[in-house]
Amino acid sequence: MEQAIETKKLVMTYGQGRTKVEALKGIDLAVKKGELLAIMGPSGSGKTTLLMILGLVTVPTSGELILDGDNIYKGGKRDFQRLRREKIGFIFQFSNLIPFLTAEENITLPMDLIGTSAGKAHARAAELLDYLEVTDRGAQLPEKLSGGERQRVAIARALANSPAMILADEPTASLDTDRGLSVMRMLRKVSTDHGTAILVVTHDERMIGEVDRVLQLVDGAVTSDESQSKNQIQGATKTAPNTVERSEQVAT
Amino acid sequence: MNLALKDARYHIFKFISSTIGVSLLLMVVFVLGGIIRGVILDSSTVVVATNAHLWVVQKDWLGPFVEVSKLPEDYYHAIQSMHGVAEASPLVMAWDHIDHPPASSGLMMFMYRNARLGTQTMVEPYWFDMVRELRFLLIGYEADHIGGPPMIIAGRGIEASHYEVVADVKTGLRLGEMIRMRGFDYKVVGLTKNIVGFNADPVIYARLEDAQNILFEPDPNLLRNIRRRTGAQLSGAEAVAPRLAEPAMRKASSLSENLHMINAIAVRVEPGVSIEEVAAEIRHWKHLEVYTSARQVNIQLMGANRLILMQLSLFRLLLLIIAGVIIGLITYTFTLDKIKDIAVLKLLGTQTTRIYSMIIQQAVLMGLLGTVMGAMMEFAAEPYFPRRVTATLGDMAQMLVIITIISILASLVAVRRAMQVDPRLVLGT
Repeated sequence: MEQAIETKKLVMTYGQGRTKVEALKGIDLAVKKGELLAIMGPSGSGKTTLLMILGLVTVPTSGELILDGDNIYKGGKRDFQRLRREKIGFIFQFSNLIPFLTAEENITLPMDLIGTSAGKAHARAAELLDYLEVTDRGAQLPEKLSGGERQRVAIARALANSPAMILADEPTASLDTDRGLSVMRMLRKVSTDHGTAILVVTHDERMIGEVDRVLQLVDGAVTSDESQSKNQIQGATKTAPNTVERSEQVAT
Repeated sequence: MNLALKDARYHIFKFISSTIGVSLLLMVVFVLGGIIRGVILDSSTVVVATNAHLWVVQKDWLGPFVEVSKLPEDYYHAIQSMHGVAEASPLVMAWDHIDHPPASSGLMMFMYRNARLGTQTMVEPYWFDMVRELRFLLIGYEADHIGGPPMIIAGRGIEASHYEVVADVKTGLRLGEMIRMRGFDYKVVGLTKNIVGFNADPVIYARLEDAQNILFEPDPNLLRNIRRRTGAQLSGAEAVAPRLAEPAMRKASSLSENLHMINAIAVRVEPGVSIEEVAAEIRHWKHLEVYTSARQVNIQLMGANRLILMQLSLFRLLLLIIAGVIIGLITYTFTLDKIKDIAVLKLLGTQTTRIYSMIIQQAVLMGLLGTVMGAMMEFAAEPYFPRRVTATLGDMAQMLVIITIISILASLVAVRRAMQVDPRLVLGT
């Protein structure tokens, strides 16, 4: 399958001399289109730094980044804003929908940024709202939506321009288990249906049953990169509700 | 998609309340502009209303409105007969007063008390007591000549030969009211509006002869005194030249009673004739001075009201600067409230110009709305000011341009803050 994103020997260092910190130590990573990858690791392991580099908001000290077949740091100066608009979708822990835009306007915003006509953007937003099962919430402001609905709208926003890759930063951290799993299943569905590579940075081990691969980062280096078989995924998915039930029983 | 409008709509209460604050400040700017225009109109009203091209006064005097020029009345016949002169009108004009307490509405009393309170540490006792005198500019004009009341808003013009006046509504006089001036009663037969002298004292129009009587007739006691003194001085001459003493005495008495003086002659020039040429011709008379109407207004405006105009203009400039600073501060706090949203917008790849444009558009929108609201409030408040305050739609249009520039400049601090927002702010949290 074609690669959506690939990194070669990504190194990121902060500071100089005695204060020098090596946040990433030569990360090699390849994510196929339609693949759902979880990046896990303890605090300070370099997850966020990797996310920032993949999201084109930080330039690494050295290494290569190939996004949708385009070697980003080769050649002349690149317009990272344009690349982010066209190639990358973002999902955040707290959805970070623009509060003064309705759900539908939040979804049409990325399309508006690349010059899609209002009519097409509106139709696409309606399609995505329907796909993410929040059809009747389009006219609502984010503050009127539940946490799960907000994340679905955030996913729709990330999908709006059919990006090569979606970066999700702790997308389930602010949700309870049920809603978290629901969001992960939605991401699973998106990656499968749209062939979008999705990289999820998460601490939440309950969610790893939904992903294709888990990348473990410790001290800026990949300590494990494990693919999960379909059986493992399905098994984990099936066991998830039981896990919820158990936790609820403990709670009660 | 206009992000500025969407954000303003979302924060509608904050946006509107801030805009109202700006509009109140801009209303004061408009009021100051209206006061300045009022001073200009007050300085020019009578000159414009007279509809004269030239004003002839005594040599070396600055004109009838600011200095007391005196000319023999019959001079106007000579000027009337000059080539190119369509009409010459003798005018008498001087400030006078009658015992008539100014009209005091509740609002006026409030303003008076407020002024008194605000100045009590600046004045001596009784300096600020309400006066009983009504001060006015009395203008006497010849029937069927220029210089009379320009527009009667109530009643009629002066029709009788004597003892009728037309007063401005600002005098507080009513139609049919009798006022006593120098021992004679005059009936108010008509009212004008906004016809005032350069210092905003209202104008009262009378027939030329009445005005001459009011302004130039000496007090009878004074007249008797003058005659006695003149007689005493001439009594010595009787011994030297007995035949000359009697006629000299009569002449001296009549000189002291001569009322046929005027303050100025208003001149209209025939169509197609150069005003300057007629003025130059009149200046050949060594004892006369001539001013064009423009120069006459200039003398009043820049002579009598120059400093107050400059002071008001400076104050208006300061208020505009303050309005700019306030718009800047409001826009800055709006931007601070949106830091996270700006970070998200940047991360989504929103063009920076679009983000900065959102901030600038909000500042400009606030400024423009504030300007329109401020102008509307000023228009509504104009009638309640004690002196003439007149702002126009033209002032508003001019202010819209100025405030747009000020708003753009004021929002630059907020734009600078937005430029510093790092999109990484919303990652890894």
